[in-house]
Amino acid sequence: MASPPPSPLTTNSAASAPPDTSNKPAAPPVNILPTQLATTYSYIHPAALLSAFAARFPALVNDPVSEMAQQLPFLALAHVAYVMICLPAAGTDSAATAAATPTSPSTPTAATSSASSTTTATTTGSRTNGNVILRPGRVGRRRTKDSSSSSSSTASAIRGRVVASLLSLTLTTLLATPVLSILLILFGAPFTTHHAQTVLCAAHMAILSSLALVYVHGVDGNVWKEVWGAKRPGDVVWGGALGTCVGAWLGAVPVPLDWDRPWQAYPITLLTGAYVGFVLGSVLGRSVLFGKRVRFEEGEDVKKVD
Amino acid sequence: MVSVTSGGPGLESPTLSDSRNAGPALSLQSPERNEQRKPQVPKALAGGSAQDKYIQGLETEFKLKHLGVLCVLGWILFLHVVGIFFFTKGFLLTRMVLENKSSCDVLPFDEAATVSKKVDGCWHQKSFEKAVVIIIDALRYDFTVPFAPSAEAESAQLFHDHLPVLYETAVNTPENAFLLPFIADPPTTTLQRLKGLTTGTLPTFIDAGSNFAGTAIDEDNLVAQLRAAGKNLVQLGDDTWHALFPGYFDPDLTRAFDSFNVWDLHTVDNGVTANLLPLLHSENSTKWDVIFGHYLGVDHAGHRYGPNHQAMAAKLDEMDRVIREIMAKLDDKTLLVVMGDHGMDSKGDHGGESNDEVDAALWMYSKRGIFGRTSAETAKPPMLARDRFVPQIDLVPTLSLLLGMPIPFNNLGSPIEEAFIGPKGNDWKNVMSVNRLTSAQIKRYQREYTASRGAEDSHQSQSEDLWRAAENSWQKLPRIGRPSQATLLSVSESYKDYQRYTLQLCRSLWAKFDVPSMIQGVAVLSAGIVLLVFYARSLKADQTDITKSLLTSVGTSSAVGVVVGAFLSFSGFAEMPVVESSALLAAAGSIVGASWTILAGSAGVSLPLPSSLWGWLAVTFTITQSIGFASNSYTIWEDEILLFFLSTFGVLAGVSSMRQKSTADRVLGVYHSILFVILGRIASFSRLCREEQMPFCRSTYYASATSSTSAPWQLAVPFLVALILPTVVRSFYAGSKSYEGAATLWIGLGFRLGLFITSVFWVLEGADDGEWLPLSKETLKSVRVFLAQLVLALAFAAGTTAFIYSKPCISINVSQGNAEPESKGKNVVPPQPAGRTTVTILGFGNVHGTRYFLLVVNFCLGIILLQKPMGQGAMGLLLWQILSLLEILDTNGLVLGNSAIGPIVLALLGSFYYFKTGHQATLSSIQWETAFIPLSSVQYPWSPIVVILNTFGAQILTAIAVPLTVLWKRPLQLSDQSSSSPKSNNPSIRLLSDVVRAACTYILFFATINLATTMWAGHLRRHLMLYRIFSPRFMMGAAVLGVVDIVLIIFSVAGVRWSTLSVGEIFGW
Repeated sequence: MASPPPSPLTTNSAASAPPDTSNKPAAPPVNILPTQLATTYSYIHPAALLSAFAARFPALVNDPVSEMAQQLPFLALAHVAYVMICLPAAGTDSAATAAATPTSPSTPTAATSSASSTTTATTTGSRTNGNVILRPGRVGRRRTKDSSSSSSSTASAIRGRVVASLLSLTLTTLLATPVLSILLILFGAPFTTHHAQTVLCAAHMAILSSLALVYVHGVDGNVWKEVWGAKRPGDVVWGGALGTCVGAWLGAVPVPLDWDRPWQAYPITLLTGAYVGFVLGSVLGRSVLFGKRVRFEEGEDVKKVD
Repeated sequence: MVSVTSGGPGLESPTLSDSRNAGPALSLQSPERNEQRKPQVPKALAGGSAQDKYIQGLETEFKLKHLGVLCVLGWILFLHVVGIFFFTKGFLLTRMVLENKSSCDVLPFDEAATVSKKVDGCWHQKSFEKAVVIIIDALRYDFTVPFAPSAEAESAQLFHDHLPVLYETAVNTPENAFLLPFIADPPTTTLQRLKGLTTGTLPTFIDAGSNFAGTAIDEDNLVAQLRAAGKNLVQLGDDTWHALFPGYFDPDLTRAFDSFNVWDLHTVDNGVTANLLPLLHSENSTKWDVIFGHYLGVDHAGHRYGPNHQAMAAKLDEMDRVIREIMAKLDDKTLLVVMGDHGMDSKGDHGGESNDEVDAALWMYSKRGIFGRTSAETAKPPMLARDRFVPQIDLVPTLSLLLGMPIPFNNLGSPIEEAFIGPKGNDWKNVMSVNRLTSAQIKRYQREYTASRGAEDSHQSQSEDLWRAAENSWQKLPRIGRPSQATLLSVSESYKDYQRYTLQLCRSLWAKFDVPSMIQGVAVLSAGIVLLVFYARSLKADQTDITKSLLTSVGTSSAVGVVVGAFLSFSGFAEMPVVESSALLAAAGSIVGASWTILAGSAGVSLPLPSSLWGWLAVTFTITQSIGFASNSYTIWEDEILLFFLSTFGVLAGVSSMRQKSTADRVLGVYHSILFVILGRIASFSRLCREEQMPFCRSTYYASATSSTSAPWQLAVPFLVALILPTVVRSFYAGSKSYEGAATLWIGLGFRLGLFITSVFWVLEGADDGEWLPLSKETLKSVRVFLAQLVLALAFAAGTTAFIYSKPCISINVSQGNAEPESKGKNVVPPQPAGRTTVTILGFGNVHGTRYFLLVVNFCLGIILLQKPMGQGAMGLLLWQILSLLEILDTNGLVLGNSAIGPIVLALLGSFYYFKTGHQATLSSIQWETAFIPLSSVQYPWSPIVVILNTFGAQILTAIAVPLTVLWKRPLQLSDQSSSSPKSNNPSIRLLSDVVRAACTYILFFATINLATTMWAGHLRRHLMLYRIFSPRFMMGAAVLGVVDIVLIIFSVAGVRWSTLSVGEIFGW
């Protein structure tokens, strides 16, 4: 797999903008793992997240700080489970990830397995035109399993996922939370007070937005460059991340209103917006907006006429 | 910098390569920006004398087009002025406050009428020594009368029949009590109502003559009259009274309670009752003369639960108990008044003018039976509020005369019959005499008002007739013997006719909005915006191309409008003065003419929809903020919302910068985006909170929340600004190697010196306040004035001169190079035969931007001087943010892209820093004292200009900076001389079009905000918060729009002429 054709999945599905050809190709949009469990759970998770949030909402209004602190481990756990079950870890057996990171596999076994699955995914991907690669992908997986001794590979795969998810959780907590806290303050959150609220809100947002990103893409520079430029093609992970941020942005809207409602207290609406935005973004990202990119200019990357 | 050279490579010095605008940047930018690039050559060096005429033609063309563009902007200003004027005429109702006070010794009659017999009381025999006035806030009339089903299906609500005491007493003992509907004049807010209830006048927005800052009533009023008569007044309950009547009440006995916590139903009421009842004990009876008790529980129950709720019933029960207790303790000499100041609507709120909101109740009670009824059918209180009501202002003459006080000078109310008719219901003589007194007082007020107002309209004559008729019938009364009841009744009625007619007259003058005029204003403003949108955002041709046809059609159609308007006015079709109708029709005509040119003209327009995320962002910022002004919360928190928007822009700019392909663009873009956001957040720490923001806001602008002087540490801010700001500006100049020529002198020396003098000025100001120096106040003042005038002279006199005459900020170096002639394709070999001459031009990459920016520096210096120390820091940050924004625009390719985002973000910055320089959208936040910074006395026109520079300094500075959004690092384009048609080929005309587009976009933001605040203020004209929130915001929006228009015309767009000419002089056209 010296140079796999630059992600036919993307070129087929990304109708909006041709990919940036000057740089190395970044990872194509990510799909939910093609297992029955992953598919099912990928629907259960957002629903459960929202229901839990709705159920705990009165408690959140009552005492935002302690409630957010209490729920944080559960959110982290649920999200770790979600990414482990539903998403391909960085540099593992996912076709999409492997195609994007040709240099990342460190162990030869991983390299071979990913190479084989890459070819399948590529061929089938071009046939099925984009986002319906669920069935072919499963074929690829099964073949991989068949070719190796199944039990040990499964165990190591699970171990790899646990390690990856824990790593991404750590990264998220250590990096994304401070960054988001600073952003919240820059957007007008109180600077001298409400620190607990800000940090906890940022932590929730960090887990919602960044955990899956780190889990799926690792520290792939090209991907993160795309993330900072908001250039990622739409998929479940990027949709969730962008949705979280946009949701929290919109969540600030009701704060100044003089309705004197307890739920207008500072982080509650933002957090609600973030959760709703995450769910909406994930759902839209994997469906209607799959492969689509945010554009800043009309006909971006195309020569301007004037 | 670019090297125009016969031997290029030697100039690519390593010191330059760290900057993205160093030599190679020119060739680097070209492909990535997709700019068309023409061969460039400095004109002065090209030395083509044959083309002189051609060049002069281009220059003249530019000057002409520039004038034309200014005229177009002037027309836009005219539309705005006309629109605002017509709206304001219909909206801002003004009434003059007369300072006159009624006096006990002077009767209101023209002739020095002597009082026939000595009366106990001022103008009339008094009936009571003392009074207890209880106001039950929001006591609606139907709370007090038994429930009477009017419609079939209607059944009693929870509030019915819980306050029976008033009705019972009025029915059972009519000589002791009466109960009447008591109709309020909108707005039905407590503060406005208390004004009406004590002065007897109608509320208007601006009571001209009163000071803006305070709410204290300076008109003649009942409380002041009582106080002047030496009565000891006690106030219990709602603390609004103390805002209105500071210092009038006995400080030992008075208990005021916070009125704003509507969730608390009981604290105020319990406090009033607990303090009121002991005062009524006989041993305390000498301590007070009049008690004003103000209960808030009913109002709060209404706000919180609405009237149809158990809590309201309980509250009314409590009121019933309280009134009975007071009645029990009352003595014979004391009058008890219970009333509501307004009603409440079905949800329990109030402020508007619906029947439920204005229908209050009035009940008077005395142990001595002196009240009466005139006929059998009026024996019982009316069952419906609309049946036999009295206006609330009637309380003023009634209470005044009952207590033996003169009627307050401004009163327009009438005495209430029931209080004067006597227990038998036949004392018409008494009724007539109080009516005559009241009418005479109204007459006197009317005369005084007309005199101080100047010319008055025709309605006056009819009221004059009524007055004369009443006086005549009074004169005809038989002097001897008793006139018949019927005669007295008719005389009394004729006086009352006069009173009511005058009241109606004043109400139509003061309390009625002129809706057609408001609609005219809004229509002109809206049409102006629509035209501006098409002109600025969707014209297919350059703006300068249609200037001529636009001006022609505008000129002719507005001339037609003037003539038609004048004709209509003279012929009497339009009831407007000539000037007004001419202006309105000129505006309308020019709108029609301009629409024809712009929309149907040859140029053609496209649908003005944004084509990029930036465009949508600009539209979103403008529209969401405009919608937000419909809500008092978003109006109150405008400063935070602006920060939110600016941060959003900054973050998106960072994201967009990450997408740039060139590393230099990416790094610089991200750096400036981060800087932009952080600077904005730092500036947001400078705050002056408005009252409504409390308690979620802490003022930092002054030393403390209650002072308007700076803390000593804040005096360090100007020094920091003087130290840092010139360096910051210099670094932005140095980025494009433009810190050359005039820039070194002006920024490095002039600007810094001016800022330093400013710092010294504010230290002296602080020394004056704190008396640190052993110098007399006069010395300090004259030194300060001198320093301030010095800075202003530096900024505006020397600065403008320098701006007009200085050369571009470049350095041209000609040397004999020995490098190989290795010309890049982009650069041009000058036609010198001596092929080895090297010409280095430093600062080439930003020649337009840096040249024009000198004007911004001038204004920044002048405006900074006029800000308080905290505001100076803010203005410094603003300048920094503007520069940062310009770099963001440049790195994201938005300078030449005709993007709306640059001007719109500048407008946001201007609005944001308005709040960061210690202002709010309230009249009280105007820093009037800044008029005395450069002057020792008020001098026209300078003092208003200084206050405007202080108030709208931020918007002015950003308006000055608007052309930079298309000039900053704009590549120098020269005309292609080989082409035959110069019209399409004059790049300076292109530049001018871009400037106009940016300026119009900037205007568009403020015009939209102005239209939105105008429409909301008009729509919410009876809103509870109109006077506090919507009207001030509307006035601010209008003022800002006018200021911004004028600054853009006189300074910004005009300034482009000098900077472009100066560049053209060096580089050709």
